[in-house]
Amino acid sequence: MELTDNVLEIRDLVKDFPSVRAVNNVSFDIKRNTVHCLVGENGAGKSTLIKILTGADQRTSGNIRLNGAEYAPRSTKDAKLKGISTLFQELNVVDQLTVEENLSLGMEDTTLGFLRRTDKTKRMVEAMNSLEPSIKPRQLVSSLSVAKKQIVEIAKAVATESDIIIMDEPTAAISEGEIKRLFKIIKGLRERNVTVIYISHRLDEIFELGDYVTVMRDGKHIDTRPISQIKDRGELVKLMIGKTVFEQYTLKEGACKDPILEVRGLSNQKLNDICFDVHPGEIVGFYGLVGAGKTELARAIYGADSYGGEIRFKGRRLPNSPDKVIAAGIALVPEERRSQGLFTILTIRSNVPVMNMRKISRAGFIDGSRERKISQEYIEKLRIATSSMEKETRKLSGGNQQKVVLAKCLFADADLLMLDEPTRGIDVGAKSEIYAIIRRLSEEGKAIMIFSSELPEVVNICDTIYLLYDGSLKETIRNGCDLDSEKILHTVTGGA
Amino acid sequence: MRTNQASGAALPQMSNESFLTLFMVGVLAVIFAIACLVVPNFFQARNVLNIVTNNWFIIILGIGVTFLLITGNFDMSVGGVIALTGVLSVWFCQGANVSQNVLANGLGLPYILAVGLALLCAVGIGAINAFFIARLKVPSIIITLGTMMLARGIAQIITHGAQRNTSLPDEFGLVGTAALPGTNIKISVLVMVVLVLLAFVFEKMTVSGRRIYLIGANSEASRLSGVKVGRHLASLYMLSALLAGITGILLASEYKAGVSNRATGYEFDALVIALLGGVSIAGGFGSVLGMFVGAIILSVVTSAATGLLLSPDWQFTIKGVVTFLAILAQRFALDRRK
Repeated sequence: MELTDNVLEIRDLVKDFPSVRAVNNVSFDIKRNTVHCLVGENGAGKSTLIKILTGADQRTSGNIRLNGAEYAPRSTKDAKLKGISTLFQELNVVDQLTVEENLSLGMEDTTLGFLRRTDKTKRMVEAMNSLEPSIKPRQLVSSLSVAKKQIVEIAKAVATESDIIIMDEPTAAISEGEIKRLFKIIKGLRERNVTVIYISHRLDEIFELGDYVTVMRDGKHIDTRPISQIKDRGELVKLMIGKTVFEQYTLKEGACKDPILEVRGLSNQKLNDICFDVHPGEIVGFYGLVGAGKTELARAIYGADSYGGEIRFKGRRLPNSPDKVIAAGIALVPEERRSQGLFTILTIRSNVPVMNMRKISRAGFIDGSRERKISQEYIEKLRIATSSMEKETRKLSGGNQQKVVLAKCLFADADLLMLDEPTRGIDVGAKSEIYAIIRRLSEEGKAIMIFSSELPEVVNICDTIYLLYDGSLKETIRNGCDLDSEKILHTVTGGA
Repeated sequence: MRTNQASGAALPQMSNESFLTLFMVGVLAVIFAIACLVVPNFFQARNVLNIVTNNWFIIILGIGVTFLLITGNFDMSVGGVIALTGVLSVWFCQGANVSQNVLANGLGLPYILAVGLALLCAVGIGAINAFFIARLKVPSIIITLGTMMLARGIAQIITHGAQRNTSLPDEFGLVGTAALPGTNIKISVLVMVVLVLLAFVFEKMTVSGRRIYLIGANSEASRLSGVKVGRHLASLYMLSALLAGITGILLASEYKAGVSNRATGYEFDALVIALLGGVSIAGGFGSVLGMFVGAIILSVVTSAATGLLLSPDWQFTIKGVVTFLAILAQRFALDRRK
């Protein structure tokens, strides 16, 4: 077969979800034996595109050709057989097995059900050896670092003659030295007839590694160019954000009161000497990309993770366990609503009062009529769409589930409310309702902290915005005056 | 499915828990009716009363085991704790230096003190469970299997692998054998009924009771909502051990003996009645009332098997088959409802 110049050709690709078009008429080519980078903000459609390529999700319409032939994988395994392997952030290795066993996992040769060592295994071990001689075939995978586990996966993809390896943020969890070694291997893959599709939020990596870059924004393909034709990261950032239109933020008349929360030198494994104040009635936003330390910051303040440094709330040192922090007057809407916020198998009625049981009980006994009254009140106040307060919360839609979590935190009667990704995965209508609730709370004099990886969200409602990168506060911005989204994106992707 | 949903909307909504308890009451009625038809003399007031009362010890154990199951944890140590507490209460109470026989000599403590100390030791076993499970987060099945053997092991050491039953004061046998005035209902049965009622009130009406469900439904969300998960689990393990201890005291008194292999396998019976009563092995769901119904189902089956003059060799098999069928029916009913 005559091999074309393009290993992959994507034409008019569309993917619709019930409320949004995640991939909108995307067309571009990927040249053979290159490192092709894919960039865009959160929600730009990168992940959906990758899911379609790896067979994890099915397209709505459009065409993909791999080596000139129609390509429509039914599953990730199918995609692998057709020549596209993926290095997911959650690595696909089995810790309890040896390197060699992992390499042949899923494609073992057997005779009557017994494993057989064959050329295939040998080939894989050879590929492994040539990539990274320090990894021994008989070694247990659990003894390897994350970076070396990635190399095992790359070796597997190389030995099975994959045409394309997709790498999704491979450097997110590994150290500086390991990144260098990984880059050397990735660069070497070109000589082995492998094309790499590389996704990263760290723009410097793209300039170091890439041959081509494709920029996506709001589900659309913006541009595909050789890296050499992009002047600097500023130009790339400009392509990524385009002309972002923010909802009108109205500057508040800030009578400067004493701060309610003072954070000084907060540090732990993920956080680095963080200092800031929050005032009553203020909405403070923490913006950063995945892995910047937003959730870690929220959890540390909440007492869910340990930390060094000092946090004062209303002038007093904050204890470090969630029950005491709640008692002091802080509530958290956690990042993962289903696993951390909600009791999915319990009813709305049982969910709403959990953070402030004292208010619905007397001498340890629950006042049932009060409990029902309060649940009804919050269902109406937050407009939770449900047929009954006795409905199990797992049966609600994402937006309504989030409102139940919010109701829970509001009922805690906190003076400081922390919201971690408060609108992730919920539809536009519920989103703006939640923003309205947040604004109202701030007018009532509550302090609000929002942790978000969506820039329009923080720009839309926050008075003060802190930019986080790699566990450090990089910059403070007063909303309304000097908002430069280009500069912001520059900062949160690691630019100086 | 469609019609189910429509009728469900028309009727006032019933929680899954009430539905399941009612369903198991229905299963109980069916099994009872079959037993009445098949077993001679089954439907007699005396027999029916026995069915409710002669499993009192398993039901008391079932309370603690049910609460822990709802939090998503096991307690397999309860049988061992019964043996230990019974043996200790006897040993503490036996006269000191009264005989050449080692097994006849005890510490010579007054009965009340002996009982108090024995219960304290029971709670001590619960505290060991609590420490490893709530503090060190070791899976509960491992730890409580360990303390199960530990408790029974100590009982065996004290009894030299057999039992202690001599040189006991008269009041030792009182509480376990005495009946309520004017009836032949034992005090132990009264204790069981009172405990079940208290447990029901605790579970349904108190804040601590509600938190048992929260922990079982989502332990991480509970922690982030300000529930002291560790402290609650610790109290429940000590409560479960205390209930097992009380059972041990009553049984030792009834037989006027501390037997090291008393209550072997009761931890499984307690688990079975909880599961029969609809308690979810994954946590977050179930009730003491359901457990009680489960206990009666098991009791009817055992009693019917005895009535049919089946040899004891067959009883285990019958119990096994009925448990299996009842739980299958339960899962099926719950799935159909959704």
